[in-house]
Amino acid sequence: MTEYSRSAKGSFTQAATGNNVAIYLPFQPTRINLTNYTAYGAFAQHGIPSATWDVQMGQGTAAVLLNSGATPTLITDQVTSNGFSTFAAGTALQLGAKQQIASIAKASPTVVTTASAHGYNVGDVVILEGLYQSATTGMPQMSGMLFQITAVGSTTTFTVTWNSNQSNYTALSASPTGAFVQKVLYPFLYLPGQNFITAINTTTGLITTTTNHNFVVGQQVAFRIPTLWGSTQLNSLPDNVIPGSPIYFYVSAVNSNTTFTVANFPAGVTAYTSNIAVASVPGLTPPQVVAVGDVNSGGFPYTGGNLYPSPAFPTFSGGVSTINGPAIQGAFVNNTRQGFVIGSGSAVTDASSHLSGTTSDVIFWQAFIDDISMP
Amino acid sequence: MSITTTGNLGPLILQSLAPAMLYVPTPTMNYITVCDKVSMPSNGGTTCRFMRPRALQPPTIQLGNSGIDPPAQVPQRDIIDAQMAFFGTGCIINEQVILQDQEGVLAWVSERLAVAMRQAEDLILRDYIISAASEINAGGGTNGDNPTNLGISDFSLVATTLDTNNAYKFMAGIEGMDRFGTGPVRSAYFMLSSTELQSDMDGLVGSGFLNQWNYPNNSSALPSEFGSALNIRVLTSSEAPVARGASANGNDVYYNTVCGKQAVTHINQDGFSMNLIYRDPYYSGMLAQNATLAVKFAQAQALTQDTAIRNLLCTRLSNLGV
Repeated sequence: MTEYSRSAKGSFTQAATGNNVAIYLPFQPTRINLTNYTAYGAFAQHGIPSATWDVQMGQGTAAVLLNSGATPTLITDQVTSNGFSTFAAGTALQLGAKQQIASIAKASPTVVTTASAHGYNVGDVVILEGLYQSATTGMPQMSGMLFQITAVGSTTTFTVTWNSNQSNYTALSASPTGAFVQKVLYPFLYLPGQNFITAINTTTGLITTTTNHNFVVGQQVAFRIPTLWGSTQLNSLPDNVIPGSPIYFYVSAVNSNTTFTVANFPAGVTAYTSNIAVASVPGLTPPQVVAVGDVNSGGFPYTGGNLYPSPAFPTFSGGVSTINGPAIQGAFVNNTRQGFVIGSGSAVTDASSHLSGTTSDVIFWQAFIDDISMP
Repeated sequence: MSITTTGNLGPLILQSLAPAMLYVPTPTMNYITVCDKVSMPSNGGTTCRFMRPRALQPPTIQLGNSGIDPPAQVPQRDIIDAQMAFFGTGCIINEQVILQDQEGVLAWVSERLAVAMRQAEDLILRDYIISAASEINAGGGTNGDNPTNLGISDFSLVATTLDTNNAYKFMAGIEGMDRFGTGPVRSAYFMLSSTELQSDMDGLVGSGFLNQWNYPNNSSALPSEFGSALNIRVLTSSEAPVARGASANGNDVYYNTVCGKQAVTHINQDGFSMNLIYRDPYYSGMLAQNATLAVKFAQAQALTQDTAIRNLLCTRLSNLGV
């Protein structure tokens, strides 16, 4: 070890089989070692007790030891996709490859079927484009908004939170020309931010967003809802009581990563609708809710962990801490990040094996940048 | 006859370095231009807090003759927090490079680091704005997409929105003059736009778009100012955000940030902005072989007037040059 090398180590317990695990570091490693301590002890079929990676192998790969066969023997193997990869999430609007959409049935929530394996995971954020079945039919009302994948039904289907089972929507079929989906590679770089609205319960004040809203209790929010979507009484301006004074709401409860309730929800708010005519799509601005401030002060409530933890997103469950230090809850924070991902890819000879382990596996990792790398 | 040519007696050293460095193509950095600037104090914690009082109810109801005072109002305020973050990058340069290379390595690496830092500052602001500000899809164009290409009515819509929100304009108007081809310029907000949209804006000349060189005078025009339309003056840059292929019809979507004063605030801490750090080889290892050059800066940002900023999203009508 000399003064310019970088090394880091850590461990985690795998939450669920098939999860990719992102490790945030102050650098992008060129060499990674992984030890699945649980797999070492179990010596069971499909286990990958250890793996290694070098940047020269290529992104998404790994060299692994595999417990192969019903009566396992330890063999060598490779992971050739969804293995180790590095990432640098520092710039917005980076999109993945376009994938053809094969069909979308009218449903709530909406299930999208792609023409080939999409490779997406629950939690990925995607953008849908060109959802026309003909010039005047289809589901283009959903185009251009960001959606978080809430379920992955198969290698070619995924679910997003939107009600397309409405009269102005027409099912897509037979891979319509121009109907694509793209993954947003690095969402949530700056938080909290702007969100698209998929539902408003005008009785309870429960707001549902298309992606993780990343709000906290006490967050001050403003609505921007164009006329066609209804519920325009929530908009921050114009204000007919005190002209010029914006109307803001406070988040009184975070009900899930994609739902929250606002306090003092007014009576008489007209119904929200996403049943917009296809003819209205050109120039259609989506309904939005944005963070504008917060009324919190001080750090996070003490939970037995760090007294001053970094903010973690999403805010309701499964949050991952930013790499920066402590901040006021609800503050605008920077969530740019880099590091590496331990993918859930399988060894070539065993499709049931997973590099990132299975539920409750205890996994140790080491990551390095070396002083000398040849070639 | 034997002629000695450069084939058998060439110059001892074949090349010489041209006297000036070539320029590095660098985008115009517009986002910092529209920001308010605030400095957090040293020992001031991690988070910069802004306070904005709310308007009180104007007392429009007469007191009457009862002699009874009306109920008191409770003043309220809005609070906006922004967490400070630190950024930096650097280069490690072996002393043999410094000793042996003919060009001034330390000088041009210093310059590159400074530009990288300033560009990072601007890109952070850019990405923050597109993540935090609400958006309006252009609908005034003719390409049938969502959003459409820019129409003059889109400039009007955004300016009307900001005017209705009582945003403050950046620029006073420019009075018309008796000069051929010029026209008066309205008081204006700024729109931070992409150079890729310039040909579309040229197409709006005659419909209300005024190129910068058609202003009555150019003394108040900024270097990156392309022109104006209604109450908006347009600054262009090649680094303006574009979501490639993300429109309803699969076309590129451009984020045009339209804002008034104080919409976005750039925050540093105790002047901790742009530190160029040079450590000579003496500080590296027992043989003192490597020098380091680095830049470091502290930055936070916040939408301090959310009502005074909108991202106007649009697609493009004209073809894109390559």
